[in-house]
Amino acid sequence: MNYLQPERLDRLAREYVLGTLAGPARRRFERVLQASPVAATAVGRWRERLSVLDLGIVPLQPPVSNWAGIEARLFPPAAPERRSSGWWRWLSGGGLGGALAGVLLCAVLLRSEPGLVGLEPQRDTLPASYVGLLLDTQDRPTLLASSRRQGRVLTLKMLQPLAVPPGQVAQLWALPQDGGAPFPVGALPAAGTAQITLPDASEALFAKVSRLGVSLEPHAARAGDAPSGAFVLTGHCVKMW
Amino acid sequence: MSPDSPDLPSLLSRVALRDRSAFERLYRATCAHLFSVAFRILRNEQRADEVLQEAFMNIWHHAAGYQPAQGAPMTWMINIVRNKAIDTLRSGKAEQAATTELDDHALEVADDTLRGPQQQFDDSLVRARIDGCMGGLQATQRQALALAYYRGMVHTEIAAALNTPLGTVKGWVRRGLDQLRACLEAAGVRGT
Repeated sequence: MNYLQPERLDRLAREYVLGTLAGPARRRFERVLQASPVAATAVGRWRERLSVLDLGIVPLQPPVSNWAGIEARLFPPAAPERRSSGWWRWLSGGGLGGALAGVLLCAVLLRSEPGLVGLEPQRDTLPASYVGLLLDTQDRPTLLASSRRQGRVLTLKMLQPLAVPPGQVAQLWALPQDGGAPFPVGALPAAGTAQITLPDASEALFAKVSRLGVSLEPHAARAGDAPSGAFVLTGHCVKMW
Repeated sequence: MSPDSPDLPSLLSRVALRDRSAFERLYRATCAHLFSVAFRILRNEQRADEVLQEAFMNIWHHAAGYQPAQGAPMTWMINIVRNKAIDTLRSGKAEQAATTELDDHALEVADDTLRGPQQQFDDSLVRARIDGCMGGLQATQRQALALAYYRGMVHTEIAAALNTPLGTVKGWVRRGLDQLRACLEAAGVRGT
């Protein structure tokens, strides 16, 4: 088909900009657009015309976490000193506690949407995952836990050192949202990043888990054990897809 | 877009130079308009949130490719948001998890603050000072355009929504766009 025949091009351009061009035809036309300045010009004209329909937009504030999510995805914190900027500050500033803040914060960290139009690099997207960000008693981010949805590996990353008395183990627990008994997930590394193998797919283990906690135990917990003391770290566990 | 908006072209050119503070100012100046664009198409706060984040990542990565000849910065950014929202709407991923009931509540609250597509359409025409000229269109023709542009509906969906044969709807949309072009040219607003 000759997309550049003027009448056909005008029809495709207007339907593309209006949005009524759909499915494979929309994809094909987007490829034409990439390659053809004539097509791009035709689209630009319709975009300009239809932009008058944006004049009546009623502004609607996005969730407060939206900007933090953009920053976290574009400029991931690489080192602890970065904590003074962006979402770390937002997080540790307090006042936004509670489930919503936790969910929204975690929601900005990982996401599952596949690249949509190919307009952005693939590295901008992350796979379907469970993720938890655990804070210490002073609300400092201390542990990041993440696992692919169907994966059997849980990655634990210490964001700052956790003081563990000699002879004790920092034990990670999963807390079901229905208030059921916490179950042990694994032991924390002293520093850096560690991966622990899960007994089942993370989807099976974490689907009903709303929070994670870390307690100090005399030895690594086994299935059926319960935390022996208070949690030194806690945070929300959120699924992303 | 809004009267108090900062100089978007210069902000965008600084974003192209990887100026993060300009990027944040650009975000603050435009996010509510752009979120509204995404929300009215997706009707879901969580997905609109996601689309807005992706759009701004895109803006960060592609700001250097923006050319004023392609239209105003706001038009360029709205286009990015609209395309992402439309693709998300049609990607068949409607089952994406709504994580909490809080989202449902937020959706209702936000929904109440948005007026219908028809109202936005009419307001836009008034602001562009082509409402008189476009008044020549029947209400249903204007409605068909509004549903396509603000809700991302395709012809078949508009036909179902308006309980009208598909061919009729296609004709409405076509004539509506012809009329819009004619009105803009007559008004000299955007006489491309």
